[in-house]
Amino acid sequence: MNTRFKSFNSPTVLAYALIAPAAIYILAIVAWPLVETIRLSFTNSSLAGEDYIGLENYEKMLGSKKFNKIVIRTFIWMFLSVSLKLIVGLIGAVLLNAKLPGRGMFRVLIMPPWVVPIAIGMLGWLWLYNGYFGIIAGVGMKTGILDGPFGFLAYKQSAFISTIIADVWVGTPMVTIFFLAAMQGVPKDLYEAAYCDGASRWHRFFKITLPQITPVIITMALLSAIWTFNSFEIIWILTEGGPRGATTTLIIDTYKMALGNYKFGKGAARAVVVMILLTIFAAFYMAILLKINKKVSSG
Amino acid sequence: MDKYNLFEKVLLYSGILLFMTFILLPFVEMFYASLRPLDHLFRSPYQFFSDDLSFWAYGEMWNTVPMLGRYIFNSFYLASCVTIITILFVIPAAYSYARFNFPGKNSSLYLLLAINMFSGAVLLIPLYKLLRTLGLLNSYQAMIVPGVAFLIPTSIWLLKSYFEKIPIDLEEAAFVDGASRLQILRHIITPLSTPGLVVVSLYIFIGAYAQQFLFAITFNSKKEYMPIPAGLYEFIGYQTIKWNEMMAASLVGIAPVLIIFIFLQKYLVEGLTAGAVKN
Amino acid sequence: MILKNFSRVISLLFISLFSANAFAATDVHGVMCGGEIREADMTVINKYMADNPDVNITMEAVPWGTCQDKVINLAIAGDPVSFSYIGSRTLKGLAENGHIVPVNIPESMTSMYQPGILDTVTHLGQQWGFPHAFSTKALFMNCDILAEAGLACEGPQSWDELYSMAETIQNKTGIAGIGLAGKDFDNTMHQFLNYLYSNGGQVIDPATNEITLNSPNTVETLEFYAKLANVSQEGPLAWERSQLTELFNDKKIAMYINGPWGAGQHGDINQKTVRIPAGPNGSQGTLLITDSVAVFNGTGHEDIAMDIVASLTSGDAQYDLDTSWGLTPIMQYPQIGKVAPYNTDYWMMFIDAIADGGPEPLLVDYKAFQTVMNSMIQGAILGEGDAADLVAEAAEELEEYK
Repeated sequence: MNTRFKSFNSPTVLAYALIAPAAIYILAIVAWPLVETIRLSFTNSSLAGEDYIGLENYEKMLGSKKFNKIVIRTFIWMFLSVSLKLIVGLIGAVLLNAKLPGRGMFRVLIMPPWVVPIAIGMLGWLWLYNGYFGIIAGVGMKTGILDGPFGFLAYKQSAFISTIIADVWVGTPMVTIFFLAAMQGVPKDLYEAAYCDGASRWHRFFKITLPQITPVIITMALLSAIWTFNSFEIIWILTEGGPRGATTTLIIDTYKMALGNYKFGKGAARAVVVMILLTIFAAFYMAILLKINKKVSSG
Repeated sequence: MDKYNLFEKVLLYSGILLFMTFILLPFVEMFYASLRPLDHLFRSPYQFFSDDLSFWAYGEMWNTVPMLGRYIFNSFYLASCVTIITILFVIPAAYSYARFNFPGKNSSLYLLLAINMFSGAVLLIPLYKLLRTLGLLNSYQAMIVPGVAFLIPTSIWLLKSYFEKIPIDLEEAAFVDGASRLQILRHIITPLSTPGLVVVSLYIFIGAYAQQFLFAITFNSKKEYMPIPAGLYEFIGYQTIKWNEMMAASLVGIAPVLIIFIFLQKYLVEGLTAGAVKN
Repeated sequence: MILKNFSRVISLLFISLFSANAFAATDVHGVMCGGEIREADMTVINKYMADNPDVNITMEAVPWGTCQDKVINLAIAGDPVSFSYIGSRTLKGLAENGHIVPVNIPESMTSMYQPGILDTVTHLGQQWGFPHAFSTKALFMNCDILAEAGLACEGPQSWDELYSMAETIQNKTGIAGIGLAGKDFDNTMHQFLNYLYSNGGQVIDPATNEITLNSPNTVETLEFYAKLANVSQEGPLAWERSQLTELFNDKKIAMYINGPWGAGQHGDINQKTVRIPAGPNGSQGTLLITDSVAVFNGTGHEDIAMDIVASLTSGDAQYDLDTSWGLTPIMQYPQIGKVAPYNTDYWMMFIDAIADGGPEPLLVDYKAFQTVMNSMIQGAILGEGDAADLVAEAAEELEEYK
């Protein structure tokens, strides 16, 4: 840590003073709604008004089979989506890292999913997945892979996978760019030395590139996991959690409760559970990150 | 070492082509939808060309939603305001985290990350009540104020890693010459971290652009202040949705942002390289 | 920024302290759904303001997708608008929770409504909204496709006939016989209810507030609805009614149920509109859906709001809405001398059905109701359970939401 300024008049005061504006702003805007949400989770707040009911929301929630299914489903969905994003992002970064003509243009062309409002992108996917009118079904029918229209969002398993693919589409550009930047930050001499020693491309990639960018991979995995967990619009626009709940993740269920059914108490309880789960997840991850960081910087 | 043989070139280009197809496919679908007439929007099996394609929707959409131009401007304006305000809060805080050690540093950093774990959707009604108390509803501030709050945390994280890359000797030299810390921040750090600043600003801008929708429809009723995503709702009628015009409007709406991106993409990758996200 | 807001709050406090009795004028805030306020409405509003100089009315147009949720959110946050266009399905919930007030609809209006309209806004013997927009449904058919399959372009007279027609079309032309909605969307439930009401079924008894869903009529209807998946477009669970319109326009389905606006959406399809066929245990029915204008509680000027709304939902203003939106006429307009444009064969299909139609069921938690019904329907189409079990399960879940 670059903290050699200890001689200046109590840097700690200045340190806090510099953070203060941001901290106060966030506290002012987010703190009260947060506290209020936690408070609501202990009530049965709804259109009808509210009464304090203690832990009843939580008891009902954690005890219900449906809820536990939703939690498991959320983690599976998240795991698949994040893994795919990392893999596709890595491949993409490798492709865009290659010194080929036109790569500047390609790098721009992968931006749109990140830049475009998610709702609009999802409308595009909604039609892509349409069994009769979409390009995917159309190409499938023309090439004979499909022998008739197929509604990708009409069946439980295919809807599950389809929403994951749409989520991967949204998240990949950013992952790709960050991986790309990390790759370009790897010292060239490492590669040259390996090349002189006769190492193949594969070898160079797995023995040099990957280890060097591992901290970035871990960080992106964490950030990606958090965003994916809260991935609401993607699923909502495509399936609204259907068919028959097959794509209902925690955040969809929370939204349906809080804003869909106006059951604020129940919705708040779910939101709190989401936050707790994510915090545990993040703490776990931070520990791993620190460990790996130590290894890499010392190794 | 960086020469590719023909086989490798073919492999790489096909990989890129596949990747691009995946990325751009929805936009192709949207573009074609915007070219079709309303009473025969879709064809099965999929046809790329039919004889009734036209750019009619691109003209008609200005009639259906007269304030469309205003909405496009609003989206841009809101995202820009959010970016500028956020950056102003973030620069000092990121510097502090990058240079100083103080009690509560690490826990506050993780607390910031925790804020991001709440999506705005869940906090909507309490946020509404808060904004109402502050008298900020139905104005540009209604969408800017919450937007900034949700973007500050991750922006601090990102900018911090760029500040950490700047060699401390420069600062020490200036310090020895009698400059105060704030002067150092203004005259040395900020110019030197331009690539990082650009990257983080872009990140904030995109984030602001993306989250406008929810805040706009809940906290704002004045049409004059609405951003594009909210404005797109006006293509939804009582029983019909003018898809072709809506798609045309979407594509036209995001065009300015994409164009800016094309100009700044050089900085983006450069900046990420210079900073190198080595947390 | 924080300082600025602080001083704002202080100044607001000051202003409110001193301006408590500043004006005797009443500020009315009305919301209509759509892109802009209609001219006919503005005429009524302007006339009212001219006749009542101390009333100031502000009308706001909120886009369709967000309209209803927005006014409900405002009511919850304690900031209700004076009146708003809203789906009648929300009335019971809002009434039970004290967010809207019961309305007094003048005799001159109640005597003019089509039969059954008032049922859609009545709860506990009182009306809770002024009916404003109305629709019924009928069956649209593509005569060209029917001809290609060797069928006469006549409406089916029974469910069996409907099924065999669809099957013949599918076998002879390869085109799906009927469009079936199965997506978790409100109009899936509506499509199902059309069939239910044609089979003597019911969801809830308005007089006793009992859930009557669990009956042999419902089971029979559910089985038929699921059976239609054999002769419908592929993957019904991904389709809702407005998308079925696209399929119909692309000549990929031969028939489907839609409202009176359908004819205008179909381009140059050779279409014919007929009554929804009767099931084995009912008569040709339809679903009566209304949207109303509700008056919110807590504004202090509820009676003024009611006056305004009454003018907006009667006479010329109402006639203008019905004709310009292409809706089933909500009032019996011949009573005030307006016969056109409803005296055609086409409109007869939608108007004749009213007497045999059933209202959209009114439950307190209408969104949960919708979820339960759609889950039941989807379960049947997916084959995830016996129809009788699904119906019983749904009926039990509905107990919580009535």
